[in-house]
Amino acid sequence: MTVLSIAADLWRQAFARKWFLVLGAAVTLFLIGIALTLRLDVVDGALSGLRLFGRPTTVEITAVDVALRPIFKAAAIVIYYPFTLFLIALCAEFAPSLLAPGRIEHMLSLPVRRWELVLGTYLGVVGLSALFSLYGAGGLCLILGAKTGVLTLRPVFAALLGTVSFAAVYSAMVAAAVLARSATSSAGVGIALYFAGVLAGYRTSLASMIRAGLPRQAFEAVTSLLPRISALGTVASDIAGGRAVSTAHVAGLIVGFLAFAAAVLAAAVWGFERKDF
Amino acid sequence: MYLAIEVHDIEKRYRTWRNRKGFCALDGVTLEVPRGVAFGLLGPNGAGKTTFIKVLLTVVRPQRGRVRVLGGDPEDPRIRARIGYLPERLDLPAHFTPVTFLASVSRLKHVLPVRDSILRLIHRVGLANDSGRKIGGFSKGMKQRLGLAAALIGQPDLLVLDEPTDGVDPMGRIEIRNLLSAELARGCTVFLNSHLLAETERVCSQVGIISAGRIVRQGSLAELCRAEGRWRVSFAPGADRERLAAAGFRAVGKEFLFAGDDLLALNRALDTARAAGAVIAEVRPDEKDLEQVMSEALTPAPVSLASPGASA
Repeated sequence: MTVLSIAADLWRQAFARKWFLVLGAAVTLFLIGIALTLRLDVVDGALSGLRLFGRPTTVEITAVDVALRPIFKAAAIVIYYPFTLFLIALCAEFAPSLLAPGRIEHMLSLPVRRWELVLGTYLGVVGLSALFSLYGAGGLCLILGAKTGVLTLRPVFAALLGTVSFAAVYSAMVAAAVLARSATSSAGVGIALYFAGVLAGYRTSLASMIRAGLPRQAFEAVTSLLPRISALGTVASDIAGGRAVSTAHVAGLIVGFLAFAAAVLAAAVWGFERKDF
Repeated sequence: MYLAIEVHDIEKRYRTWRNRKGFCALDGVTLEVPRGVAFGLLGPNGAGKTTFIKVLLTVVRPQRGRVRVLGGDPEDPRIRARIGYLPERLDLPAHFTPVTFLASVSRLKHVLPVRDSILRLIHRVGLANDSGRKIGGFSKGMKQRLGLAAALIGQPDLLVLDEPTDGVDPMGRIEIRNLLSAELARGCTVFLNSHLLAETERVCSQVGIISAGRIVRQGSLAELCRAEGRWRVSFAPGADRERLAAAGFRAVGKEFLFAGDDLLALNRALDTARAAGAVIAEVRPDEKDLEQVMSEALTPAPVSLASPGASA
Protein backbone atom coordinates (compact mmCIF):
# COMPACT_ATOMS: atom_id res chain seq x y z
CA MET A 1 0.00 0.00 0.00
CA THR A 2 2.81 2.41 0.92
CA VAL A 3 4.59 1.47 -2.31
CA LEU A 4 1.50 2.45 -4.29
CA SER A 5 1.17 5.74 -2.34
CA ILE A 6 4.77 6.62 -3.24
CA ALA A 7 4.18 5.68 -6.88
CA ALA A 8 0.97 7.73 -6.96
CA ASP A 9 2.78 10.76 -5.50
CA LEU A 10 5.40 10.42 -8.19
CA TRP A 11 2.64 10.47 -10.82
CA ARG A 12 1.18 13.59 -9.24
CA GLN A 13 4.58 15.26 -9.41
CA ALA A 14 5.11 14.12 -12.99
CA PHE A 15 1.78 15.48 -14.20
CA ALA A 16 2.53 18.81 -12.54
CA ARG A 17 5.75 19.12 -14.57
CA LYS A 18 5.58 20.84 -17.91
CA TRP A 19 7.76 18.31 -19.73
CA PHE A 20 5.32 15.53 -19.02
CA LEU A 21 2.43 17.72 -20.06
CA VAL A 22 4.32 18.50 -23.28
CA LEU A 23 4.88 14.77 -23.85
CA GLY A 24 1.20 13.99 -23.24
CA ALA A 25 0.16 16.86 -25.50
CA ALA A 26 2.58 15.74 -28.25
CA VAL A 27 1.25 12.16 -28.24
CA THR A 28 -2.33 13.46 -28.21
CA LEU A 29 -1.65 15.87 -31.09
CA PHE A 30 -0.05 13.07 -33.08
CA LEU A 31 -3.11 10.87 -32.56
CA ILE A 32 -5.51 13.71 -33.41
CA GLY A 33 -3.44 14.47 -36.50
CA ILE A 34 -3.65 10.84 -37.64
CA ALA A 35 -7.37 10.75 -36.90
CA LEU A 36 -8.11 13.95 -38.86
CA THR A 37 -5.71 13.79 -41.78
CA LEU A 38 -5.49 10.10 -42.66
CA ARG A 39 -8.26 8.65 -44.76
CA LEU A 40 -8.26 4.96 -45.63
CA ASP A 41 -10.60 3.55 -48.24
CA VAL A 42 -11.43 -0.03 -47.41
CA VAL A 43 -13.46 -2.24 -49.72
CA ASP A 44 -14.28 -5.79 -48.67
CA GLY A 45 -11.41 -5.87 -46.15
CA ALA A 46 -8.88 -4.59 -48.67
CA LEU A 47 -7.20 -1.21 -48.73
CA SER A 48 -8.04 0.45 -52.02
CA GLY A 49 -6.99 4.03 -51.36
CA LEU A 50 -5.11 6.20 -48.88
CA ARG A 51 -5.24 9.96 -48.43
CA LEU A 52 -2.92 11.87 -46.13
CA PHE A 53 -3.70 15.58 -45.68
CA GLY A 54 -6.20 15.16 -48.52
CA ARG A 55 -3.56 13.99 -51.01
CA PRO A 56 -4.24 10.63 -52.62
CA THR A 57 -1.37 8.16 -52.38
CA THR A 58 -1.03 5.28 -54.77
CA VAL A 59 -1.43 1.97 -53.00
CA GLU A 60 -1.60 -1.55 -54.22
CA ILE A 61 -4.84 -3.18 -53.30
CA THR A 62 -3.95 -5.34 -50.35
CA ALA A 63 -5.66 -6.78 -47.29
CA VAL A 64 -5.98 -4.08 -44.64
CA ASP A 65 -4.15 -6.02 -41.94
CA VAL A 66 -1.23 -6.54 -44.30
CA ALA A 67 -1.23 -2.90 -45.42
CA LEU A 68 -1.14 -1.66 -41.84
CA ARG A 69 1.82 -3.79 -40.83
CA PRO A 70 4.55 -1.30 -41.87
CA ILE A 71 2.73 1.48 -40.02
CA PHE A 72 2.51 -0.57 -36.84
CA LYS A 73 6.11 -1.69 -37.23
CA ALA A 74 7.28 1.90 -37.58
CA ALA A 75 5.20 2.91 -34.56
CA ALA A 76 6.74 0.06 -32.52
CA ILE A 77 10.27 1.11 -33.49
CA VAL A 78 9.56 4.75 -32.58
CA ILE A 79 8.13 3.73 -29.21
CA TYR A 80 10.91 1.25 -28.53
CA TYR A 81 13.97 3.32 -29.43
CA PRO A 82 13.72 7.15 -29.51
CA PHE A 83 10.79 7.31 -27.13
CA THR A 84 12.63 5.15 -24.57
CA LEU A 85 15.71 7.37 -24.87
CA PHE A 86 13.51 10.42 -24.35
CA LEU A 87 11.99 8.79 -21.26
CA ILE A 88 15.45 8.06 -19.86
CA ALA A 89 16.30 11.75 -20.05
CA LEU A 90 12.87 12.81 -18.78
CA CYS A 91 12.75 10.46 -15.78
CA ALA A 92 16.38 10.82 -14.69
CA GLU A 93 15.49 13.44 -12.10
CA PHE A 94 12.86 11.55 -10.11
CA ALA A 95 15.03 9.28 -7.96
CA PRO A 96 17.76 11.88 -7.26
CA SER A 97 15.16 14.51 -6.33
CA LEU A 98 13.61 12.08 -3.85
CA LEU A 99 17.05 11.52 -2.37
CA ALA A 100 17.87 15.24 -2.22
CA PRO A 101 19.07 16.60 1.14
CA GLY A 102 16.09 17.88 3.08
CA ARG A 103 13.67 15.59 1.22
CA ILE A 104 15.08 12.18 2.02
CA GLU A 105 15.41 12.90 5.77
CA HIS A 106 11.74 13.82 5.82
CA MET A 107 10.72 10.74 3.83
CA LEU A 108 12.76 8.40 6.03
CA SER A 109 11.25 9.88 9.19
CA LEU A 110 7.80 8.82 7.95
CA PRO A 111 6.54 5.29 8.58
CA VAL A 112 7.98 4.16 5.27
CA ARG A 113 10.51 1.36 4.89
CA ARG A 114 13.52 2.12 2.75
CA TRP A 115 12.81 -0.64 0.25
CA GLU A 116 9.27 0.70 -0.14
CA LEU A 117 10.70 4.08 -1.10
CA VAL A 118 12.96 2.56 -3.76
CA LEU A 119 10.30 0.21 -5.11
CA GLY A 120 7.58 2.89 -5.10
CA THR A 121 9.78 5.28 -7.06
CA TYR A 122 10.77 2.54 -9.49
CA LEU A 123 7.23 1.33 -10.09
CA GLY A 124 5.93 4.88 -10.40
CA VAL A 125 8.40 5.73 -13.18
CA VAL A 126 7.99 2.40 -14.99
CA GLY A 127 4.21 2.88 -14.71
CA LEU A 128 4.56 6.32 -16.32
CA SER A 129 6.53 4.79 -19.17
CA ALA A 130 3.85 2.12 -19.63
CA LEU A 131 1.10 4.74 -19.54
CA PHE A 132 2.60 6.90 -22.29
CA SER A 133 3.58 3.93 -24.45
CA LEU A 134 0.16 2.33 -24.15
CA TYR A 135 -1.57 5.65 -24.72
CA GLY A 136 0.33 6.18 -27.98
CA ALA A 137 0.15 2.60 -29.25
CA GLY A 138 -3.39 1.98 -28.01
CA GLY A 139 -4.62 5.26 -29.50
CA LEU A 140 -3.06 4.40 -32.86
CA CYS A 141 -4.67 0.93 -32.81
CA LEU A 142 -8.09 2.39 -31.99
CA ILE A 143 -7.91 5.12 -34.64
CA LEU A 144 -6.73 2.78 -37.40
CA GLY A 145 -9.17 0.15 -36.17
CA ALA A 146 -12.04 2.63 -36.45
CA LYS A 147 -10.93 3.71 -39.93
CA THR A 148 -10.40 0.21 -41.32
CA GLY A 149 -12.57 -2.02 -39.17
CA VAL A 150 -9.54 -4.17 -38.35
CA LEU A 151 -8.61 -3.99 -34.69
CA THR A 152 -5.28 -5.44 -33.64
CA LEU A 153 -3.43 -5.22 -30.33
CA ARG A 154 -0.03 -6.09 -31.77
CA PRO A 155 1.35 -2.52 -31.41
CA VAL A 156 0.17 -2.53 -27.79
CA PHE A 157 2.16 -5.69 -27.09
CA ALA A 158 5.14 -4.11 -28.82
CA ALA A 159 4.75 -1.02 -26.62
CA LEU A 160 4.65 -3.24 -23.53
CA LEU A 161 7.95 -4.76 -24.60
CA GLY A 162 9.29 -1.21 -24.80
CA THR A 163 8.23 -0.76 -21.18
CA VAL A 164 10.00 -4.00 -20.23
CA SER A 165 13.15 -2.64 -21.85
CA PHE A 166 12.80 0.70 -20.04
CA ALA A 167 12.18 -1.16 -16.75
CA ALA A 168 15.59 -2.83 -17.03
CA VAL A 169 17.34 0.44 -17.85
CA TYR A 170 15.56 2.38 -15.12
CA SER A 171 16.60 -0.13 -12.44
CA ALA A 172 20.23 0.79 -13.19
CA MET A 173 19.28 4.49 -13.12
CA VAL A 174 17.80 4.05 -9.63
CA ALA A 175 20.94 2.27 -8.47
CA ALA A 176 23.07 5.11 -9.85
CA ALA A 177 20.88 7.66 -8.09
CA VAL A 178 21.24 5.82 -4.77
CA LEU A 179 24.98 5.81 -5.22
CA ALA A 180 25.51 9.36 -6.46
CA ARG A 181 22.24 11.30 -5.87
CA SER A 182 22.69 13.05 -9.22
CA ALA A 183 20.28 13.29 -12.16
CA THR A 184 23.21 13.58 -14.56
CA SER A 185 24.77 10.35 -13.27
CA SER A 186 21.41 8.63 -13.38
CA ALA A 187 20.77 9.72 -16.98
CA GLY A 188 24.36 8.89 -17.95
CA VAL A 189 24.09 5.37 -16.59
CA GLY A 190 20.71 4.94 -18.30
CA ILE A 191 21.96 6.06 -21.70
CA ALA A 192 25.16 4.04 -21.39
CA LEU A 193 23.23 0.90 -20.46
CA TYR A 194 20.75 1.53 -23.25
CA PHE A 195 23.47 1.63 -25.93
CA ALA A 196 25.39 -1.21 -24.30
CA GLY A 197 22.13 -3.18 -24.36
CA VAL A 198 21.71 -2.43 -28.06
CA LEU A 199 25.21 -3.84 -28.66
CA ALA A 200 24.47 -6.82 -26.41
CA GLY A 201 21.58 -7.71 -28.71
CA TYR A 202 24.11 -8.24 -31.49
CA ARG A 203 26.68 -9.89 -29.23
CA THR A 204 27.03 -13.06 -31.29
CA SER A 205 27.74 -11.29 -34.56
CA LEU A 206 29.89 -8.64 -32.85
CA ALA A 207 31.90 -11.27 -30.97
CA SER A 208 32.96 -12.84 -34.23
CA MET A 209 34.55 -9.50 -35.20
CA ILE A 210 36.66 -9.42 -32.03
CA ARG A 211 40.02 -11.19 -31.83
CA ALA A 212 39.62 -14.67 -30.40
CA GLY A 213 40.93 -15.23 -26.91
CA LEU A 214 40.66 -13.02 -23.87
CA PRO A 215 39.17 -9.91 -25.57
CA ARG A 216 36.35 -11.92 -27.11
CA GLN A 217 35.73 -13.82 -23.87
CA ALA A 218 35.65 -10.56 -21.94
CA PHE A 219 33.18 -9.06 -24.44
CA GLU A 220 30.98 -12.13 -24.24
CA ALA A 221 31.15 -12.20 -20.45
CA VAL A 222 30.20 -8.53 -20.08
CA THR A 223 27.42 -8.56 -22.67
CA SER A 224 25.96 -11.77 -21.24
CA LEU A 225 25.04 -9.77 -18.12
CA LEU A 226 23.36 -6.96 -20.01
CA PRO A 227 19.74 -6.80 -21.16
CA ARG A 228 19.69 -7.40 -24.92
CA ILE A 229 17.77 -4.29 -25.84
CA SER A 230 18.08 -4.58 -29.60
CA ALA A 231 17.03 -8.25 -29.50
CA LEU A 232 13.82 -7.33 -27.69
CA GLY A 233 13.40 -4.35 -30.02
CA THR A 234 13.51 -6.67 -33.02
CA VAL A 235 10.91 -8.90 -31.38
CA ALA A 236 8.72 -5.84 -30.65
CA SER A 237 8.84 -4.63 -34.25
CA ASP A 238 8.23 -8.16 -35.51
CA ILE A 239 5.15 -8.52 -33.31
CA ALA A 240 3.84 -5.12 -34.43
CA GLY A 241 4.61 -5.98 -38.05
CA GLY A 242 2.67 -9.20 -37.87
CA ARG A 243 5.63 -11.56 -38.15
CA ALA A 244 5.52 -14.80 -36.23
CA VAL A 245 7.83 -14.89 -33.22
CA SER A 246 8.75 -17.75 -30.98
CA THR A 247 6.87 -17.48 -27.69
CA ALA A 248 9.72 -19.20 -25.88
CA HIS A 249 12.21 -16.68 -27.30
CA VAL A 250 10.05 -13.72 -26.24
CA ALA A 251 9.43 -15.20 -22.80
CA GLY A 252 13.14 -15.89 -22.36
CA LEU A 253 14.01 -12.30 -23.23
CA ILE A 254 11.35 -10.87 -20.92
CA VAL A 255 12.45 -13.09 -18.03
CA GLY A 256 16.05 -12.00 -18.66
CA PHE A 257 15.11 -8.32 -18.62
CA LEU A 258 13.03 -8.68 -15.48
CA ALA A 259 15.75 -10.72 -13.75
CA PHE A 260 18.28 -8.01 -14.59
CA ALA A 261 15.93 -5.32 -13.24
CA ALA A 262 15.22 -7.30 -10.06
CA ALA A 263 18.91 -7.98 -9.42
CA VAL A 264 19.97 -4.37 -9.94
CA LEU A 265 17.05 -3.08 -7.89
CA ALA A 266 17.94 -5.49 -5.07
CA ALA A 267 21.49 -4.14 -5.15
CA ALA A 268 20.11 -0.59 -5.06
CA VAL A 269 17.95 -1.42 -2.03
CA TRP A 270 20.92 -3.10 -0.34
CA GLY A 271 23.00 0.04 -0.83
CA PHE A 272 20.14 2.31 0.21
CA GLU A 273 19.57 0.36 3.44
CA ARG A 274 23.18 0.96 4.45
CA LYS A 275 23.36 4.60 3.49
CA ASP A 276 23.27 7.51 5.92
CA PHE A 277 21.60 10.75 4.89
CA MET B 1 9.15 7.60 34.62
CA TYR B 2 7.89 7.19 31.03
CA LEU B 3 10.57 8.16 28.58
CA ALA B 4 10.01 9.56 25.14
CA ILE B 5 13.65 9.19 24.16
CA GLU B 6 16.21 6.77 25.61
CA VAL B 7 19.62 6.86 24.04
CA HIS B 8 22.46 4.89 25.54
CA ASP B 9 26.13 5.11 24.62
CA ILE B 10 25.63 6.03 20.99
CA GLU B 11 28.60 6.30 18.71
CA LYS B 12 28.34 7.52 15.16
CA ARG B 13 31.37 7.83 12.94
CA TYR B 14 31.16 9.10 9.36
CA ARG B 15 33.62 7.10 7.35
CA THR B 16 34.74 7.54 3.78
CA TRP B 17 36.65 5.25 1.46
CA ARG B 18 39.76 7.32 1.98
CA ASN B 19 39.38 7.88 5.70
CA ARG B 20 38.38 4.58 7.28
CA LYS B 21 38.73 5.95 10.80
CA GLY B 22 36.30 8.70 9.92
CA PHE B 23 34.91 11.66 11.76
CA CYS B 24 33.25 10.98 15.08
CA ALA B 25 29.95 12.90 15.17
CA LEU B 26 28.56 11.24 18.30
CA ASP B 27 30.90 9.83 20.90
CA GLY B 28 29.11 7.77 23.54
CA VAL B 29 26.03 9.95 23.89
CA THR B 30 23.57 8.93 26.60
CA LEU B 31 20.38 10.93 27.02
CA GLU B 32 16.93 10.43 28.45
CA VAL B 33 13.97 12.67 27.71
CA PRO B 34 10.78 12.15 29.74
CA ARG B 35 7.43 12.16 27.99
CA GLY B 36 5.45 15.37 27.86
CA VAL B 37 8.33 17.80 28.27
CA ALA B 38 10.00 20.22 25.89
CA PHE B 39 13.67 19.35 25.58
CA GLY B 40 16.17 21.61 23.88
CA LEU B 41 19.44 20.32 22.46
CA LEU B 42 22.06 23.05 22.25
CA GLY B 43 25.57 23.15 20.96
CA PRO B 44 27.94 24.82 18.56
CA ASN B 45 28.01 24.08 14.82
CA GLY B 46 29.25 20.58 14.12
CA ALA B 47 28.67 19.42 17.68
CA GLY B 48 26.46 16.52 16.54
CA LYS B 49 22.96 17.93 17.12
CA THR B 50 21.54 17.10 13.70
CA THR B 51 23.25 13.70 13.66
CA PHE B 52 21.66 12.95 17.02
CA ILE B 53 18.23 13.82 15.66
CA LYS B 54 18.84 11.71 12.56
CA VAL B 55 19.80 8.77 14.75
CA LEU B 56 16.46 9.09 16.56
CA LEU B 57 14.68 8.81 13.21
CA THR B 58 16.89 6.08 11.68
CA VAL B 59 18.00 8.44 8.92
CA VAL B 60 21.48 7.73 10.24
CA ARG B 61 22.44 4.41 11.84
CA PRO B 62 24.94 4.47 14.73
CA GLN B 63 27.83 2.02 14.91
CA ARG B 64 27.26 1.45 18.63
CA GLY B 65 24.64 2.03 21.29
CA ARG B 66 20.93 1.62 21.91
CA VAL B 67 18.11 3.92 20.81
CA ARG B 68 14.51 3.70 21.97
CA VAL B 69 11.87 6.23 21.05
CA LEU B 70 8.37 6.25 22.57
CA GLY B 71 9.16 2.91 24.19
CA GLY B 72 10.05 1.13 20.95
CA ASP B 73 12.61 0.74 18.22
CA PRO B 74 12.48 3.69 15.80
CA GLU B 75 13.20 1.23 12.96
CA ASP B 76 9.58 0.10 13.48
CA PRO B 77 7.34 2.16 11.15
CA ARG B 78 4.58 2.07 13.79
CA ILE B 79 6.88 4.02 16.12
CA ARG B 80 7.85 6.50 13.40
CA ALA B 81 4.15 7.01 12.65
CA ARG B 82 3.91 8.61 16.11
CA ILE B 83 6.76 11.04 15.46
CA GLY B 84 6.52 14.37 13.68
CA TYR B 85 9.79 15.64 12.24
CA LEU B 86 10.84 18.94 10.77
CA PRO B 87 14.31 18.72 9.21
CA GLU B 88 16.77 21.58 9.26
CA ARG B 89 16.97 21.95 5.49
CA LEU B 90 13.55 21.09 4.15
CA ASP B 91 13.24 20.37 0.45
CA LEU B 92 9.60 20.16 -0.55
CA PRO B 93 8.18 19.06 -3.91
CA ALA B 94 8.01 22.37 -5.80
CA HIS B 95 5.09 21.38 -8.02
CA PHE B 96 2.81 20.47 -5.12
CA THR B 97 0.45 22.84 -3.34
CA PRO B 98 0.34 22.72 0.49
CA VAL B 99 -2.89 20.72 0.27
CA THR B 100 -1.46 18.06 -2.06
CA PHE B 101 1.78 17.88 -0.06
CA LEU B 102 0.01 17.42 3.27
CA ALA B 103 -2.39 14.90 1.71
CA SER B 104 0.63 12.95 0.49
CA VAL B 105 2.29 12.99 3.93
CA SER B 106 -1.05 11.94 5.49
CA ARG B 107 -1.26 8.91 3.22
CA LEU B 108 2.32 7.91 4.03
CA LYS B 109 1.54 8.31 7.73
CA HIS B 110 -1.56 6.14 7.26
CA VAL B 111 -3.81 9.04 8.24
CA LEU B 112 -6.92 9.59 6.13
CA PRO B 113 -6.21 12.75 4.10
CA VAL B 114 -9.41 14.64 4.93
CA ARG B 115 -9.40 18.01 3.15
CA ASP B 116 -11.01 19.88 6.06
CA SER B 117 -8.44 18.71 8.58
CA ILE B 118 -5.62 19.52 6.15
CA LEU B 119 -7.00 23.03 5.64
CA ARG B 120 -7.29 23.43 9.42
CA LEU B 121 -3.64 22.46 9.77
CA ILE B 122 -2.62 24.92 7.04
CA HIS B 123 -4.59 27.63 8.84
CA ARG B 124 -2.93 26.68 12.12
CA VAL B 125 0.56 27.31 10.76
CA GLY B 126 -0.49 30.60 9.19
CA LEU B 127 -0.61 29.61 5.52
CA ALA B 128 -4.38 29.87 5.01
CA ASN B 129 -3.99 32.42 2.21
CA ASP B 130 -1.44 30.30 0.35
CA SER B 131 -3.10 26.89 0.43
CA GLY B 132 -3.62 26.87 -3.35
CA ARG B 133 -0.18 28.16 -4.35
CA LYS B 134 2.63 25.94 -5.58
CA ILE B 135 5.29 25.31 -2.94
CA GLY B 136 8.05 26.24 -5.41
CA GLY B 137 7.11 29.91 -4.95
CA PHE B 138 7.25 29.79 -1.15
CA SER B 139 9.81 31.66 0.95
CA LYS B 140 12.03 29.75 3.39
CA GLY B 141 9.85 30.74 6.32
CA MET B 142 6.70 29.58 4.54
CA LYS B 143 8.33 26.24 3.79
CA GLN B 144 9.26 25.92 7.46
CA ARG B 145 5.65 26.54 8.43
CA LEU B 146 4.47 23.94 5.95
CA GLY B 147 7.07 21.48 7.22
CA LEU B 148 5.76 22.06 10.71
CA ALA B 149 2.22 21.36 9.49
CA ALA B 150 3.49 18.09 8.00
CA ALA B 151 5.11 17.20 11.32
CA LEU B 152 1.82 17.81 13.11
CA ILE B 153 -0.16 15.38 10.94
CA GLY B 154 -1.69 12.56 12.94
CA GLN B 155 -1.24 14.29 16.32
CA PRO B 156 2.22 12.85 17.00
CA ASP B 157 3.38 11.85 20.48
CA LEU B 158 6.84 13.25 19.79
CA LEU B 159 7.76 16.31 17.77
CA VAL B 160 11.39 16.48 16.66
CA LEU B 161 12.14 19.93 15.32
CA ASP B 162 15.50 20.90 13.86
CA GLU B 163 15.72 24.71 13.75
CA PRO B 164 11.95 25.18 13.38
CA THR B 165 12.00 28.97 13.23
CA ASP B 166 14.90 29.30 10.81
CA GLY B 167 13.84 31.94 8.28
CA VAL B 168 10.55 32.64 10.05
CA ASP B 169 9.63 36.27 10.81
CA PRO B 170 9.28 37.42 14.46
CA MET B 171 5.48 37.20 14.44
CA GLY B 172 5.74 33.74 12.94
CA ARG B 173 8.11 32.72 15.73
CA ILE B 174 5.54 33.75 18.30
CA GLU B 175 2.86 31.78 16.43
CA ILE B 176 5.10 28.71 16.29
CA ARG B 177 5.89 29.05 19.99
CA ASN B 178 2.18 29.20 20.78
CA LEU B 179 1.61 26.18 18.60
CA LEU B 180 4.31 24.23 20.42
CA SER B 181 2.80 25.25 23.75
CA ALA B 182 -0.55 23.86 22.57
CA GLU B 183 1.12 20.61 21.53
CA LEU B 184 2.82 20.37 24.93
CA ALA B 185 -0.50 20.95 26.64
CA ARG B 186 -1.93 18.07 24.58
CA GLY B 187 0.76 15.80 26.08
CA CYS B 188 3.17 15.77 23.16
CA THR B 189 6.91 15.66 23.82
CA VAL B 190 8.88 18.33 21.97
CA PHE B 191 12.53 17.79 21.10
CA LEU B 192 13.94 21.05 19.85
CA ASN B 193 17.24 21.73 18.22
CA SER B 194 17.78 25.45 17.85
CA HIS B 195 20.61 27.92 17.67
CA LEU B 196 18.31 30.55 19.12
CA LEU B 197 18.95 30.35 22.84
CA ALA B 198 16.15 32.75 23.74
CA GLU B 199 13.72 30.59 21.84
CA THR B 200 14.94 27.43 23.56
CA GLU B 201 14.70 29.20 26.92
CA ARG B 202 11.10 30.19 26.23
CA VAL B 203 9.91 26.81 24.97
CA CYS B 204 11.96 24.19 26.77
CA SER B 205 11.89 23.08 30.38
CA GLN B 206 14.85 20.72 29.95
CA VAL B 207 18.07 21.28 28.12
CA GLY B 208 21.06 19.26 26.99
CA ILE B 209 24.31 20.75 25.72
CA ILE B 210 26.31 18.77 23.23
CA SER B 211 29.87 19.49 22.23
CA ALA B 212 32.20 17.46 20.01
CA GLY B 213 29.72 14.59 20.00
CA ARG B 214 29.34 14.41 23.77
CA ILE B 215 26.63 15.61 26.13
CA VAL B 216 28.44 18.02 28.45
CA ARG B 217 25.45 19.33 30.43
CA GLN B 218 21.93 18.06 30.89
CA GLY B 219 19.10 18.93 33.22
CA SER B 220 16.15 21.16 33.85
CA LEU B 221 16.49 24.76 32.78
CA ALA B 222 16.06 25.88 36.40
CA GLU B 223 18.87 23.60 37.56
CA LEU B 224 21.28 24.61 34.85
CA CYS B 225 20.62 28.33 35.18
CA ARG B 226 20.83 28.46 38.95
CA ALA B 227 24.03 30.07 40.22
CA GLU B 228 24.92 28.36 43.47
CA GLY B 229 24.68 30.63 46.51
CA ARG B 230 24.36 34.03 44.89
CA TRP B 231 21.74 36.72 45.16
CA ARG B 232 21.13 39.70 42.96
CA VAL B 233 19.96 42.83 44.81
CA SER B 234 18.69 46.14 43.42
CA PHE B 235 18.72 49.25 45.56
CA ALA B 236 16.89 52.51 44.92
CA PRO B 237 19.17 55.26 43.54
CA GLY B 238 21.24 57.12 46.13
CA ALA B 239 22.56 54.12 48.08
CA ASP B 240 26.07 54.52 49.43
CA ARG B 241 28.18 52.07 47.38
CA GLU B 242 31.06 51.98 49.83
CA ARG B 243 28.84 51.07 52.78
CA LEU B 244 27.07 48.48 50.63
CA ALA B 245 30.42 46.98 49.71
CA ALA B 246 31.32 46.88 53.38
CA ALA B 247 28.07 44.96 54.01
CA GLY B 248 29.11 42.33 51.43
CA PHE B 249 27.43 43.58 48.26
CA ARG B 250 29.54 43.59 45.10
CA ALA B 251 28.45 46.08 42.45
CA VAL B 252 27.69 44.61 39.00
CA GLY B 253 26.45 47.44 36.81
CA LYS B 254 23.41 48.95 38.46
CA GLU B 255 22.82 45.86 40.57
CA PHE B 256 24.68 44.18 43.43
CA LEU B 257 25.65 40.58 44.01
CA PHE B 258 25.65 38.94 47.42
CA ALA B 259 27.57 35.69 47.65
CA GLY B 260 26.43 33.12 50.18
CA ASP B 261 23.91 30.32 50.70
CA ASP B 262 22.97 31.35 54.19
CA LEU B 263 19.67 33.24 54.21
CA LEU B 264 20.38 34.65 57.67
CA ALA B 265 23.65 36.11 56.40
CA LEU B 266 21.77 37.68 53.48
CA ASN B 267 19.20 39.20 55.83
CA ARG B 268 21.89 40.54 58.12
CA ALA B 269 23.62 42.15 55.13
CA LEU B 270 20.32 43.64 53.97
CA ASP B 271 19.68 45.00 57.49
CA THR B 272 23.13 46.60 57.46
CA ALA B 273 22.41 48.13 54.04
CA ARG B 274 19.05 49.49 55.22
CA ALA B 275 20.67 50.85 58.33
CA ALA B 276 23.06 52.68 55.99
CA GLY B 277 20.08 54.32 54.28
CA ALA B 278 19.75 52.01 51.26
CA VAL B 279 16.24 51.26 50.01
CA ILE B 280 15.79 47.73 48.68
CA ALA B 281 14.00 47.53 45.31
CA GLU B 282 14.41 43.83 44.53
CA VAL B 283 16.09 40.69 45.84
CA ARG B 284 16.22 37.55 43.70
CA PRO B 285 18.38 34.46 43.29
CA ASP B 286 21.10 35.12 40.76
CA GLU B 287 20.28 33.04 37.66
CA LYS B 288 22.42 32.64 34.61
CA ASP B 289 20.87 32.84 31.17
CA LEU B 290 21.35 30.01 28.69
CA GLU B 291 24.08 31.90 26.92
CA GLN B 292 26.16 31.90 30.10
CA VAL B 293 25.34 28.26 30.80
CA MET B 294 26.37 27.27 27.31
CA SER B 295 29.46 29.41 27.38
CA GLU B 296 30.55 27.84 30.67
CA ALA B 297 29.79 24.34 29.40
CA LEU B 298 31.76 24.83 26.21
CA THR B 299 34.75 26.61 27.71
CA PRO B 300 37.48 24.06 28.36
CA ALA B 301 38.64 23.86 31.95
CA PRO B 302 42.04 25.49 32.45
CA VAL B 303 44.83 22.94 32.43
CA SER B 304 46.99 23.07 35.50
CA LEU B 305 50.65 23.13 34.51
CA ALA B 306 51.75 21.90 37.90
CA SER B 307 49.35 19.05 38.44
CA PRO B 308 50.14 16.93 41.49
CA GLY B 309 50.79 13.79 39.48
CA ALA B 310 53.05 15.45 36.97
CA SER B 311 56.64 14.47 37.09
CA ALA B 312 59.38 16.86 36.22
